[in-house]
Amino acid sequence: MSKSPIVEFKDFTFKYKSQLEPTLKNINLTIYEGEKVLILGPSGCGKSTLANCINGLIPFSYPGEIHGSCKIAGNETSHSSIFSLSSVVGTVLQDSDAQFVGLSVGGDIAYALENDNMPREEMLPRVLNSATLVGMQEFLEHVPYNLSGGQKQRVSLAGIMHEHVKILLFDEPLAALDPQMGNQAIDLIDKIQKNNNCTVIIIEHRLEDVLYRPVDRIILLEDGQIIADMKPNELLCSNIIVEKGIREPLYLQALKMAGCNVTIDDNPSNIFDIKLDKYKEKLVSYYSNVDTSKPYKEKKVVLNVKNVDFSYDKNKALDNVSFSINKGDKIAVIGKNGAGKSTMAKLICGILRPDKGEVHLEGVNYLNYSIKELGQKIGYVMQNPNQMLVKDIIKDEVSLGLVLNNKSEEEIEKNIEEALKKCDLWPMRNWPVSVVSYGQKKRVTIASILAMNPEIIILDEPTAGQDYRVYTEIMSFLEKLNKDFGITILFITHDMHLAIEYTDRAIVFADGKCIGDDSVFKILSDNDIIERASLKQTSLYSLATRLGINPESFIESFIVSERRKRHEKS
Amino acid sequence: MKNLNIINLTKGETFLHQLSGTTKVRLFAVLMVYVMMSFDLPIILPLFVFSIISIISLKPHWKTIQPLIFFVVFLNVLNIVLYWLANPLCGLEYTGDQTILFAYTDYLIVTRGTLWFLSIRLLKMLTAFSTSLAFIMSITPSELAAGLTNIGFPYKLGSIVEIAFRYIPDISRDYENIAVSMQCRGLELDAKKTKPIERLKQMVIILIPLIVTSFDRVGNISNAMDLRGFGKGKKRSYYSEYPERRNDKIFKLIYCLIALFCAYYIISGFITPRVPKMWIYWRCL
Repeated sequence: MSKSPIVEFKDFTFKYKSQLEPTLKNINLTIYEGEKVLILGPSGCGKSTLANCINGLIPFSYPGEIHGSCKIAGNETSHSSIFSLSSVVGTVLQDSDAQFVGLSVGGDIAYALENDNMPREEMLPRVLNSATLVGMQEFLEHVPYNLSGGQKQRVSLAGIMHEHVKILLFDEPLAALDPQMGNQAIDLIDKIQKNNNCTVIIIEHRLEDVLYRPVDRIILLEDGQIIADMKPNELLCSNIIVEKGIREPLYLQALKMAGCNVTIDDNPSNIFDIKLDKYKEKLVSYYSNVDTSKPYKEKKVVLNVKNVDFSYDKNKALDNVSFSINKGDKIAVIGKNGAGKSTMAKLICGILRPDKGEVHLEGVNYLNYSIKELGQKIGYVMQNPNQMLVKDIIKDEVSLGLVLNNKSEEEIEKNIEEALKKCDLWPMRNWPVSVVSYGQKKRVTIASILAMNPEIIILDEPTAGQDYRVYTEIMSFLEKLNKDFGITILFITHDMHLAIEYTDRAIVFADGKCIGDDSVFKILSDNDIIERASLKQTSLYSLATRLGINPESFIESFIVSERRKRHEKS
Repeated sequence: MKNLNIINLTKGETFLHQLSGTTKVRLFAVLMVYVMMSFDLPIILPLFVFSIISIISLKPHWKTIQPLIFFVVFLNVLNIVLYWLANPLCGLEYTGDQTILFAYTDYLIVTRGTLWFLSIRLLKMLTAFSTSLAFIMSITPSELAAGLTNIGFPYKLGSIVEIAFRYIPDISRDYENIAVSMQCRGLELDAKKTKPIERLKQMVIILIPLIVTSFDRVGNISNAMDLRGFGKGKKRSYYSEYPERRNDKIFKLIYCLIALFCAYYIISGFITPRVPKMWIYWRCL
């Protein structure tokens, strides 16, 4: 079957007006009708720019210099308009909240039709039709504020499917979703592609999650250039993804660690299809010989939460929650949105106080402390550093908390020097905040909390939306803080990789209740908890089940040997 | 997530809610002219009664609108008092009545005419308020956008209104989050513990990150709108705008009649300037 090309880049180079260097360099890429392509690459590699060239935002909204040609469905983009392109290319943006411009689900799905000045009677059946395709037909009257991230994304998808668009373009579809919803989204994309027979382009850096459903081709970008254009199996067997800072699927990491050399014929792109027979012996013997005994450490309880209840008006947000945190712990607080994680964090910080139950901080009932006093014992780092940064200069930002708490000048100087040095920001202390990278901004916010010398730091989704490189940068820095300075850290997250790699214990929330509090490997091998908390089985679990070995001990062995290896490296 | 309770984002169930956006906007525009054109009690009073009935018929959430009502009534009474202080004889011109009811000093006197004039003025302002309140409570922002477009405003204006309502709750959520993190860092937002000026300064600290993150969002929103063809044509249709139904037709007749009456009243007033009529009813009492 000969397929006709639908996206054609030829010697395409693009430079943003405000930049000196081109962001895309000499791109030659052809995508054929009906193909499903993953565009992979670390942040800043130009993959979003490439997407914007396809949907017409470049050059329509972002002017710049274009050399070479980019044809979509046979038309040169620089000669057509964004409106004519939007009837061929449907784009689902990363930020599903910002993309939801209508005031109700129906209104948002109808948005493109409204702009076409379509009479309302024609609109209604089409809206219903699109909504049914994504399974949102029951929600047409709902307002956006009560929808989950996954539902909003479905609405966005329904909103672009009217015109029989030929290309569906997804810009980081997994960024804002919890693991289970992420799987559902990938599944839905797959179904729609099969039903409508359209071309699908997914832009992501989460390789393993996208491969939950098969893709035809993977295109790897680096520094604005295409460095690989291969079938998934080929790419996974080459070493290129690890070199380029893309996270390898966990099961492949597990196989490689045990010394197995996976080949293309083994079909490594999916955990359920990969041929394991010849590796079974090697795997089992490697992981059963990992020494998982830990040196005994005496633990001192810092924070003790006892039978805490909390309600907003009449909605119970926390229901009889109890747990305790020891000094030097690294704990993952997991659960889906609305499960009570953020309420718990606010409660620990003292912004909210429990309706019932008690919280003890180093043995003292924390009702004795004001929010201000608690702020110096428990630090809270928000997900988006831009929501925390107030001052122009790094040093001022870090000293802000101390100034607000009326500390003496010497104390401020001493504390910020210490905090900046711990965060490796001392040489940059006089830099403006606006010029540093995302990872560095994150470090600035952490330094500004560290300056207050807290006992515990709570980090809300510290790596959300970041690629593997920044993720590793942030997480290894936090690990160092924990190891070298004994700082207790709570991660609020739904990233299972983070929990596996960097934490010892997981506290799981669902519907305001604490439904699990145990070692990470035990939590991750408990089906009941995983389901209730909207988590997903890691591929390690699936691997263990396929090998017929106990998942719990397998995951434990993997975690221990993975950490040992990481520490040897560093 | 909090919903703005005075403004409904989705269509309500009652009679007035069910009218189309265009009907509501046109009726409101005509009624505003109607209430502003005179000081005549027989013109203002019926509308006042109708607007109160309308508000009740909309089955509002009384707890949410109560503070607003108190606030507006208070402001209007204050306005009347100040009006009187500025010119205690302000009613003379309209009523011709100078009977003194109370006299505190030579300047501060209350005449029957002034009292009557100021009461009508208060009633007029309250009528304008209650009509507006009924309008605001009955219409959704999308209907407003559709209605504005249908009476001839460019549709981009309506869209601005709609988008503003869409993102106000998101921004207020951002504000809350930023406030939380700042409080943890020692920012004192407790009204009892800080002076007003200090608090104002601290609010500014919260506003900086709020503005930065909101700008990020604006870029995303405008991209999303471009990608779905916003601004493509000269005209735009509305999903939320119901086709004209029987009740809309009845109301069309009503607002057309009122509009004709207003036109007659205003034009005839220009041709033969009329003596303000309120005194007639004063004499009758």
